[in-house]
Amino acid sequence: MSNSHLFLKSGFPRAPLQNGLGRYVCQLQRITLKFCKNNGSSRGMRDFIENHLVDFAKENPGIVVYVKPRRHRTPVLVGEYLNGEREWLSCRNSTQDEISKWIDLLKTQNGSSSSLRLRKMWHTDVPSIQGPWTPFMLRSPDALSQKYPSSEASKPLDAPTTATEKLIELFKQQKLEDEADISKKHAK
Amino acid sequence: MSFLRSVASCLLTGRVQAQSQTGQARRHIKRWVAPTLRELAHRQQKKGPQGPEPRSGYVDWNYRSELFAFGKRLSENFELPVLQQAFTDPSYAHKEEERQRKFGIEEEDLKIAHNAHLAEKGGHLATAYVEAYLKQSLPKVPKEGLEALANYLLSTETLANVSRHLGSIELIYSSEYPPSDKILANSLKAVIGALSDSSGVERAFTFVRDFICTQLNQKDLLEIWTPVEPFKLLKEACQQRQWSEPEPRLQGDCGKNTVLAAYQVGIYSNRQMLGKGFGETVQTAKEMAAIDALQKLFDLHDNRRPFDFSLQVETKNVRLG
Repeated sequence: MSNSHLFLKSGFPRAPLQNGLGRYVCQLQRITLKFCKNNGSSRGMRDFIENHLVDFAKENPGIVVYVKPRRHRTPVLVGEYLNGEREWLSCRNSTQDEISKWIDLLKTQNGSSSSLRLRKMWHTDVPSIQGPWTPFMLRSPDALSQKYPSSEASKPLDAPTTATEKLIELFKQQKLEDEADISKKHAK
Repeated sequence: MSFLRSVASCLLTGRVQAQSQTGQARRHIKRWVAPTLRELAHRQQKKGPQGPEPRSGYVDWNYRSELFAFGKRLSENFELPVLQQAFTDPSYAHKEEERQRKFGIEEEDLKIAHNAHLAEKGGHLATAYVEAYLKQSLPKVPKEGLEALANYLLSTETLANVSRHLGSIELIYSSEYPPSDKILANSLKAVIGALSDSSGVERAFTFVRDFICTQLNQKDLLEIWTPVEPFKLLKEACQQRQWSEPEPRLQGDCGKNTVLAAYQVGIYSNRQMLGKGFGETVQTAKEMAAIDALQKLFDLHDNRRPFDFSLQVETKNVRLG
């Protein structure tokens, strides 16, 4: 993400109005093709209008197509969506194939995609399948029979061992080692 | 815009030339620019913030094509005059009649067809179908629960949201723009009525299922309907099933007598745990447990099987009141 996208509207991929459940509704509601009748930059747009536009309108009766000639201006595609958004595309010097591809993009998206930064490529309404944590979750079975107050449970977990305890530990280890030596001698 | 552009270019060239000509200062922004801009800003401020412009005011607008496309988009065949009537709000019709009366047009020619009748018809159809659909897909839920869910689906907010997302804002003839939620909801009902007039009741029912019933998808049903006295309701449900009286038991507590106290209560009946819940007091924990048990009994819990939106409700099961 570059700095120029910091203030772009951000969101998640969502289907508007549970689209696709029940039936699919094409979200592009109208498209306006603006072009110049004699400028060279509109040539691709003119070719598209001449060769493909009627077929496009017949295939997509749900999209209203407006054609707007204007003098000495850049050819432009404007798509309007059911959610009220509007996408503006400059088609300066584009060929008719490029324009068909752009129109196909406008037709298949559900809003102005260029004005939305996707935070993630997925979205879920229920992020956790385990449910919320509670103090009663994953308790050890001992906790049920525990009697409070108990001296065992009220000790801090990070209490350091004292010098006396260390000495006792050392003494016990020594004792064990001595016993092992004696038993070895007996075995011989 | 072109005016502003020329001002900007004036500013730019002015800066360049001011650097080149050091001695003699030449004015590049005309004397009239600042007062004009000030006056424009003043007028705008006086007018206050302006509402959105209706799309129908643009040059590229063809109402007939828009109506045709509306039907085709939803893969329905409407009769266009009926659809246009469905989009005419009574407020617009009255306003228009008043306007024409002022011009001295005779009373017989004044009648403008509006959608009140269609909306009533569509409202009946939608209510009947939603109730039948809910009854079939949630067979275990009691009557008040089904009622709450149906009220949610048929509320003005939900219907207005659906209507808005089907693109009817620009098509509605009303006295105000943008149309209010009530007008939007009303027009959606009228569209349902118009559809049943054009293509039959069956198509209207499928329309209601596909666009209104689907609003229940992924919704937290507990948020829409929370039983007011859950424990009482649970008692009744247990009585109906001839189980023993539900018995709440304290399963655990934590942080007693502190601000962060938490209790866990389980509800048992017939030596079976029906549900469990948590709360900051024993009473709330018991209520939460009862709600949990009810959700399991009524098949409303979070991980229930999703709604089937391809379900066919038979027309004879839909009670048209």
